[in-house]
Amino acid sequence: MAQFLQQIVNGLSIGSVYALMAVGYSLVYSIMNFSNFAHGGVIMFGAYFGFFAMTLLKLPFLAAFALSFTGTALLALLIERIAYKPLRERRAPFLYFIISAMGASIFLENIVIATIGPTFRTYPKVFSRTAIALGSIAVGRLDLIMFFVSAISLALLVLFIEKTKMGKAIQASAYNMKAAALMGVNTDQIVMIVFILGGILAGIAGVFFGMKYTVYPQIGNITTKSFVAAVFGGLGSLPGAVLGSVLLGIIETMVAGYLSSQFRDLIAFVILIAVLVFRPSGIMGKISEEKA
Amino acid sequence: MSNILEIKGLTKRFGGLAAVDNVDFDVREGGITGLIGPNGAGKTTIFNLITGVYKVSSGNVFFRQKDITNTEPYLVADYGITRTFQNIRLFKNLNVFENVLTACHASAKYGLAESFLRLPRFRKEELALKKKAMDLLDYMGLADRKDAIANGLPYGLQRRLEITRALALDPKLLLLDEPAAGMNPDETEQLMKLIANIRDRFNLTVLVIEHHMDLVMGVCEHIVVLNFGKKLSEGRAEEIRGNKQVIEAYLGGEHAEC
Amino acid sequence: MDAYLEGILILSGINLIAVMGLCLLTGFAGLFSFGHAGFMAIGAYTAAIFTKMLGLPFVFGIAASAVSAAIVSWLIGMATLKLKGDYFCIATLGFGEAIRLILDNFQGLGGSRGWPGIPASSTLLNIVILDIIGVVLIANLVRSRHGRNMIAVREEELAAQVAGINTYKYKMLALVISAAYAGVAGALLGHYMTFIQPKMFSMVKSTELTIIVIFGGLGSISGSVIGAVVLTFLPELLRVVDKWRLVAYGMAVIAIMIGRPRGLMGGFELTPASFRKLFAERKAAREIKAASRLYSDDDSAQGAGR
Ligand SMILES: Nc1ncnc2c1ncn2[C@@H]1O[C@H](COP(=O)(O)OP(=O)(O)OP(=O)(O)O)[C@@H](O)[C@H]1O
Ligand SMILES: [Mg+2]
Repeated sequence: MAQFLQQIVNGLSIGSVYALMAVGYSLVYSIMNFSNFAHGGVIMFGAYFGFFAMTLLKLPFLAAFALSFTGTALLALLIERIAYKPLRERRAPFLYFIISAMGASIFLENIVIATIGPTFRTYPKVFSRTAIALGSIAVGRLDLIMFFVSAISLALLVLFIEKTKMGKAIQASAYNMKAAALMGVNTDQIVMIVFILGGILAGIAGVFFGMKYTVYPQIGNITTKSFVAAVFGGLGSLPGAVLGSVLLGIIETMVAGYLSSQFRDLIAFVILIAVLVFRPSGIMGKISEEKA
Repeated sequence: MSNILEIKGLTKRFGGLAAVDNVDFDVREGGITGLIGPNGAGKTTIFNLITGVYKVSSGNVFFRQKDITNTEPYLVADYGITRTFQNIRLFKNLNVFENVLTACHASAKYGLAESFLRLPRFRKEELALKKKAMDLLDYMGLADRKDAIANGLPYGLQRRLEITRALALDPKLLLLDEPAAGMNPDETEQLMKLIANIRDRFNLTVLVIEHHMDLVMGVCEHIVVLNFGKKLSEGRAEEIRGNKQVIEAYLGGEHAEC
Repeated sequence: MDAYLEGILILSGINLIAVMGLCLLTGFAGLFSFGHAGFMAIGAYTAAIFTKMLGLPFVFGIAASAVSAAIVSWLIGMATLKLKGDYFCIATLGFGEAIRLILDNFQGLGGSRGWPGIPASSTLLNIVILDIIGVVLIANLVRSRHGRNMIAVREEELAAQVAGINTYKYKMLALVISAAYAGVAGALLGHYMTFIQPKMFSMVKSTELTIIVIFGGLGSISGSVIGAVVLTFLPELLRVVDKWRLVAYGMAVIAIMIGRPRGLMGGFELTPASFRKLFAERKAAREIKAASRLYSDDDSAQGAGR
């Protein structure tokens, strides 16, 4: 029982970081209807920004953290302007967006390899590694902080989307981009905001990810799993992305704990295929009849 | 004359909205029937239901007494019903000839292996297909444009090409969705004549959606009027012209045309 | 021949087979896959089982690789080809990764450390022969009713359905054929390297194949052939600037999407007939221009068509 609870706690902690990443995929999907595979690269940059801010610039953790998510927000925006905006203006089919995203992703990963090399880097110690005992289970400080910061960030995002005028405009655009444009919503601005929001969350996720594991250019491959979580929850649905991520985090740790850690990565893709076969709209998404 | 198409209690809901609400009507074989109504009346949705593009919420569609409700679009085409689209859907990057050739395929039988190896039957049937496509283009006056890319054609010719492509399937029933949209009165009248000619030459039945009432009056023998998803009225042109409800519906909706 | 050059030619030839299949799927049927490396993996391992474990001749290995990849793709197609939008693309991504991870954990076939000792049966000769057969078959297919039906699906799916084309069937056909090609490419690769490892069949490999097809121009067979050779050679020539290679690659992909979305050949085919036509068009255009100059000073009104 204690082991079970322990797994749940570990799962929640990693799931919350997946959620930060998955929300970025879902936000973009809800507005632009394509899977933004460059998002993984942005997350990786977030991890490096934080790392170098702390090691090279010797910034304190919070400043490095802020620098990182500012940087990723700008990077996400830049990618949108360069790689997607021309396609949007041309009303290119979604496949072009995906390929362009792949190009951006390859570029980001390899520019890092080419400039600072493929080595693994370890974050300086910020939080004490001794775990906090909660009854029979032990919770790492970093895990606890990760969980709360993620939860707070996601709560702020929900507040922004539900309560502000801009958030309402995002919802309207997600529902129907053309109709929103007709009603006077500046859709170009909406797209920019969405990329900034996704970028900020990517930066936060990147720093945490780097701290929990290590920093290296292929982190993006692991973020593919958060994409799986977004599909699991229902592409385009924010609550779905969060739920899918938490579930994926828990399932993963359970599989690693009770079966074999070798199946840890595999399970994500098994879930992906199962979801696509049995419920392609995911847990919370819906697929509507295309207008003809 | 018998009915080629019978629509019974046809209903389609999108969420709360009933876009088509318990509609009944028949289409007589060999005739030209008009389907009219203001914007959003549900005309296009009925076409989508007949051709299996949308799933029916309730009700039935019978084609020559056979229940074809919720049949896959390609099978509906096999049975002999083809259509055009309100917002033209050509194979945009293909040329005029290829657009029509592709629709002729139903009349070829050669298999996959024969295509891979270019066996004799492949050659023979390909020649026949090409001839058929060319004949149709000749008849529809598109032969001199056969190498033009569909996307680059003037609007009126794109509509004409879409009709040609539909004819390539040798349909028994041809559904035309606002074929005259965007045309001036002259062009529209020509088109209406063409439709009548096509009906006679290919020996088929036509169901045509038209937004402008006056235009259908000339060519349609029978007219069905829809409003807010419901059938408002049906009858011969002169009956419809005098119908109070129809006039009201149109006065309410005409200014919003698009 | 220089062994180094021969090696690159062999790799180009192997890539070409996989690319030919993907050219059909993506260029003609309009479906994108990020999992074709997974089909290559299935082909590579199946062929190795046949030749190394069962000791059968290489041709059996190749045939088995095509069949096994085709069967798996058919199962995947059944599950996902009815989905709209990029769900198919996502599914192939998931499949490709899943295959790789399964092989990673399957110790019977070497697991993640790889599987050595596969017979070195791939030669430049048998690869060139397979390349020629592969290209001819696809070229014939796309100029038949079956191929044109696939093109119609790519161009306008709904209109294709209404024109009596079973779009599901034709997407499936394109997928199964392309998977079989990928399977054969995998078999050839394994029997050239004499060593296979799941890592060789990652998503990066899948993306690389798709990019070659796009680089060559969607819907152009000759473009795909040129793309496969150029993009296999180029990295070798650029060995000196090796680490910048993929950086440039990423930028080039975006640039193509933005600037020349139809790729190198833009759907145009290099055949004797197309050359003749091109020259005829050029000549006609020149004549029109000359003629118009005779009659008026303003020749801008008389373009060359298009
Ligand atoms: N796929 C869909 N999802 C949701 N609502 C739809 C869909 N297709 C049609 N509708 C709705 O159904 C109603 C009827 O639409 P329909 O296109 O059939 O009208 P119409 O009579 O063809 O009008 P028009 O003259 O403008 O072409 C409209 O309110 C439309 O918004
Ligand atoms: Mg309509």
